[in-house]
Amino acid sequence: MRNTTRLLDVLDRVESGPIVEESLWDMQIVPSEMAHLQIEFNVVLPPPRTAIVLSDDALADRVFEAGLALAERVGAFCVSTSRRVRFTREEIIAALAVAPTEVTIGNDNDRHTERKRCVEDPAFPTIKGGGVGTPVPEELYLAVTQSYAQEPLIDAVINCTFERIYGREIRGRSPWEVLVGWHEAELSKAACRRAGRPGLGLGCVENAVSELSELSATSYGGFSPNDWHHVAMISEFKTDYMALAKLVHLIRTGSVIHAFYNTIYGGTCGGREGMSIAIVGGCILMQMLYMTNTHSVSPAHPFFDNDTTPEILQAIALGQQALARNSRLLTDVVITPVGGPGTKTLLYECAAMAILATASGACGLIGPRSAAGIHAAHVSGLESRFTAEVARASAGMSRRDADELVRKLVALYQPELNQRPIGLAFPEVYDPVTVQPRAAWLEIYEQVKGELRTLGLPLR
Amino acid sequence: MHLSEAKCEEQRTQLRRAIDDLDEKAGIALAQEALAGGVSPLEFFQDVIEPVLKEIGDAFARLDLFLPDLMRAGAVVKAMQLQILEPAVRSAGGESGSSGTIVIGTAQGDIHDIGKNMVALMLQVNGFKVVDLGTNVSPQAFLDSARREQADIIAMSSLLTPSLPYIKDFVARVNALGERQRYILVAGGAPITASWAEAAGLDGFGEDAVEAVALCQRLMRRRAGGEA
Repeated sequence: MRNTTRLLDVLDRVESGPIVEESLWDMQIVPSEMAHLQIEFNVVLPPPRTAIVLSDDALADRVFEAGLALAERVGAFCVSTSRRVRFTREEIIAALAVAPTEVTIGNDNDRHTERKRCVEDPAFPTIKGGGVGTPVPEELYLAVTQSYAQEPLIDAVINCTFERIYGREIRGRSPWEVLVGWHEAELSKAACRRAGRPGLGLGCVENAVSELSELSATSYGGFSPNDWHHVAMISEFKTDYMALAKLVHLIRTGSVIHAFYNTIYGGTCGGREGMSIAIVGGCILMQMLYMTNTHSVSPAHPFFDNDTTPEILQAIALGQQALARNSRLLTDVVITPVGGPGTKTLLYECAAMAILATASGACGLIGPRSAAGIHAAHVSGLESRFTAEVARASAGMSRRDADELVRKLVALYQPELNQRPIGLAFPEVYDPVTVQPRAAWLEIYEQVKGELRTLGLPLR
Repeated sequence: MHLSEAKCEEQRTQLRRAIDDLDEKAGIALAQEALAGGVSPLEFFQDVIEPVLKEIGDAFARLDLFLPDLMRAGAVVKAMQLQILEPAVRSAGGESGSSGTIVIGTAQGDIHDIGKNMVALMLQVNGFKVVDLGTNVSPQAFLDSARREQADIIAMSSLLTPSLPYIKDFVARVNALGERQRYILVAGGAPITASWAEAAGLDGFGEDAVEAVALCQRLMRRRAGGEA
């Protein structure tokens, strides 16, 4: 639950908490507490080759307790004020007890309500399809966005970013950022109208590298409060005035807020065990700081920039289960594959994450951010359609069955990752005029669906 | 005096233990003892510290070890260098054994720092003196620090496309001020490619922390007139 009283309390704390040097936060406070928590709560994971989607409820519950302890003992750090923001256990428990268990995104006939899911829940997760910030040339932006918006199984669109604006380079925290925020609102809304879904919720403002785009584009004629507005928690467990300025605007406009935090595998939080604890602790801290509707933690691999390596998959599955079993929080999973459009690798990676997240109780799936979101326009709506279909087919699946499927899929794509199969850019896999997938991409999609059916997934 | 291989291995084991325990005092005592026994600082660095740091760097590249392990190694070795090895080199009239000075930071418009921190630590454990300016660093702040530190390399990190123009701004600034030849300029981060780096007028780019170290070592050798 959010209100001005709680907002003022957060703003007061970032200006009154103990002063800490950022290097101490990064080098000592977070890593030492993380190492300690793994021992204290006996968070030990089996090797991913033996199991990726674990079915150990006791372990999931210990991971939740460790994440809760992390949120209480470490808290957050405000980079702008160099102050530590602490919350007591009682405050955290009280906030978690009133966290929303559903949220409606979008408007009119196209609105969608995302709801809390449990582990092995038969309900379908919400699908937020889109390129998640992948840069796209402005001349393709409309068609790329429409390729997602027109997919019936997609419940909301998560926008891409612009490579350039009116042919110019985009500079963060400059007038160009204001302009690109408006451009995103105009073109993504136009794409939804062209798709016949004018009220579809939009994940925004993806071009907001600072607060400027969000503050300008969430306004009359721009994004609506019912769109799905993003605020970042910086790794690890940091905030700043830019994020908090966005927060104030979003709360006072009554907007739907999604907070995300992208930690790096092998970074300050360490390996699989630390990742799973960071997922829980990160979601709790985002709820405490930002009073969020939905949350996502997307660990990135330090060399591939993806989240589909077996180690990261295992940590995501466990963190999601911990949150699904022990909290009311609405948690989403971002899919960031190495593979790009036109490759089987991309679809295998999407399938693995969709099955894993659905069985582990994730409320929503975001993406996929194909080709790791790095390569311009290497995204298309078809991979989101595929992800939605796999997620629906996985709803209600046991974690044990999910694990068997996920490990088979990982065996198919893992050997390919070193080759970085980024695939093809949008115009090569879709006709940008008709906004329909080209035959070759559709054929690969059908082939992989056939392979999944052979593996036992009840895909339509 | 040259250490026997058995003695070297014994000291490497002690150093590994000091790093595991983040015991800077043990590391310092180890260096003191070696130098008191007649080993030169350079020999100690080459025979004991460098192999251990290489092991750690290689293990990080395989993700058998993680950032906290690099941090421990960096802290212990830095303490040994600052308190024992560098003073010993200076008192003997020599120069410190640093591989070079690098000013590093995340470019203006971007606040991501974990990737940059990984690169900074990997450079540090590989013998570079690293001055980390943090995030959202303006072109002028990079330049001020590079001048102050007499940097060899300026390394700019970026995870967001809208911060890339500020890297180009920096290159334009050092060109306009006639200081381009004083520095090796490199960059890294998700939106940066080899072709972008070349077009921007940089000397190189690193795909990840491991590659960044190799790049900086290669460029330093080239600058010194050795093989590229």
